[in-house]
Amino acid sequence: MINVKDIKKDFPIFKRQINNLPMTYLDSGATSQKPMQVLEAMNNVYTHSNANVHRGTYTLSAETTEAYEDVRNKCKEFINAPSSDEIIFTRGTTDGFNFLAQALTKNRVSPGDEIVLSEIEHHANIVPWQLVAKEYDLVIKYIDVDNNFELNIEDLSSKLNTKTKIVSITGESNISGTIPNIKEINTLVREKSDAIFIVDGAQLVPHRVVDVQNMGIDFITFSGHKMLGPTGIGVVWGKRELLDNLEPVAGGGDMIEEVFFDSAKWAPIPHKFEAGTPPYVEAIGLGAAIDYLNNLGMKNVEQHSDQLRDYGRDILEKIDNIKIIHSTAKLAGCTFSLYMDGVHATDLSVMLDTHGVAVRAGHHCVQPFHRKLDIDATFRATCYIYNEENDLDIFKNSLEKSLEVLL
Amino acid sequence: MSIESKVQKYKRILDVLPTPQEKYQYLIEQARTSKEFPEELRQDVFKVPGCQSQVWLVPEKKDDYLNFICDSDALIARGLVNMITDIYSGETPETIKDSEIDLMEEFDLGIILSPARRNGAFNMLKKIKDYAEGLL
Repeated sequence: MINVKDIKKDFPIFKRQINNLPMTYLDSGATSQKPMQVLEAMNNVYTHSNANVHRGTYTLSAETTEAYEDVRNKCKEFINAPSSDEIIFTRGTTDGFNFLAQALTKNRVSPGDEIVLSEIEHHANIVPWQLVAKEYDLVIKYIDVDNNFELNIEDLSSKLNTKTKIVSITGESNISGTIPNIKEINTLVREKSDAIFIVDGAQLVPHRVVDVQNMGIDFITFSGHKMLGPTGIGVVWGKRELLDNLEPVAGGGDMIEEVFFDSAKWAPIPHKFEAGTPPYVEAIGLGAAIDYLNNLGMKNVEQHSDQLRDYGRDILEKIDNIKIIHSTAKLAGCTFSLYMDGVHATDLSVMLDTHGVAVRAGHHCVQPFHRKLDIDATFRATCYIYNEENDLDIFKNSLEKSLEVLL
Repeated sequence: MSIESKVQKYKRILDVLPTPQEKYQYLIEQARTSKEFPEELRQDVFKVPGCQSQVWLVPEKKDDYLNFICDSDALIARGLVNMITDIYSGETPETIKDSEIDLMEEFDLGIILSPARRNGAFNMLKKIKDYAEGLL
């Protein structure tokens, strides 16, 4: 069980008041708040053992290197990857997708090859593919999303063929909370193509137990900052046999075995893909975040998200004339994107701020799907471990009060 | 009424309103009572860049003076752009160009405007000054 009162004590930011009111933070889908344990871990590196990682033979460098590499192991266990060598540190999910898009197409695709995404993907899982599609003359296909914001599996099936080289879909949607059945999709992808199957774990990994081996996927990418860690650190996990065969897309220090004036040999994975000084302090912060989540138990984190989601569904649908973009499937995240005809989402989010409620207004980096629904913007409430039912009550009440002014 | 005195008029009104909520409500009321915007002017060339909502700002020259008509698809932005255009309407391009009033500072709107919205208000002001300079 998650005890929100106790958890909140670990997060200094919740001492803050907004407009003389307690802060109701419902924007964890954009970034999570950070517990003291994460802040202290990072502070500790800078105050006690700061030195660049790898190849330093002195004490400080050895300590920092050990702490940094230990995080790789924590990440491996957190998503049940077979080996910590397969954990590649990135700057975040977006960086992860840019790396994957470049590495998985360089010398590996032919004109006319296909990439399959879904209509509810975050721009991070669209634009990097558009860049390589333009470069190599590839075709991008989008899986239809039904009225309940679930992926249309028949449509996916019809879009897979021998030309499909990449299938990349969200593990948990940042707009509707949709959690696609990854195992079912994985089976379909393997049956109908030789494509590489990637999952966007940006929202999934912070909220649910993730087992990449059980899912059967080839790659997952996620961000530290959405799971209590700092910004600037993220992870790509991939199967060893795939990673071994990929060429690096960035060169520099730390990623080489040997360098000559006319050529270089790459270091083995994961270092082959990590050019330059890594964000080791941020990585150590991510390690502390993983410890924090493990301490709570990811099963409990998952249960807490489900409880809040059910409560949110109950109370939000009672608001007159509100339209909700949220999957009502049994399995879904605690993410609600809302809109109301005749009321601008930014007006609502501004009025909500005067009640101390932090929600996001806009297209949430899912602009093509907003366009499909013919909506300019929605305002979105997302929950995490430090939220409780009362936050959703405050959100609903503040929303109704704001609507009185705006309607 | 000069730019300075119109700024002071709005400043007095906003100062009396103690909470951000009430200041926003004032802007919303301003938006509701604003003049209808001619549909044919809803063109990209009149859009103010960098606003979270869509804002249109159109100059109208009458004799030696400039007037502005404006609109937004969001109420608070419409109230804000109405207030700003009211301040500068009825002035010569030269007076507008030379005016150095820091609106954000004067209105103490900082407390209610997020940095993104301040940026939007700044861009509204810049568009007004660009129009004025273009006519000199």
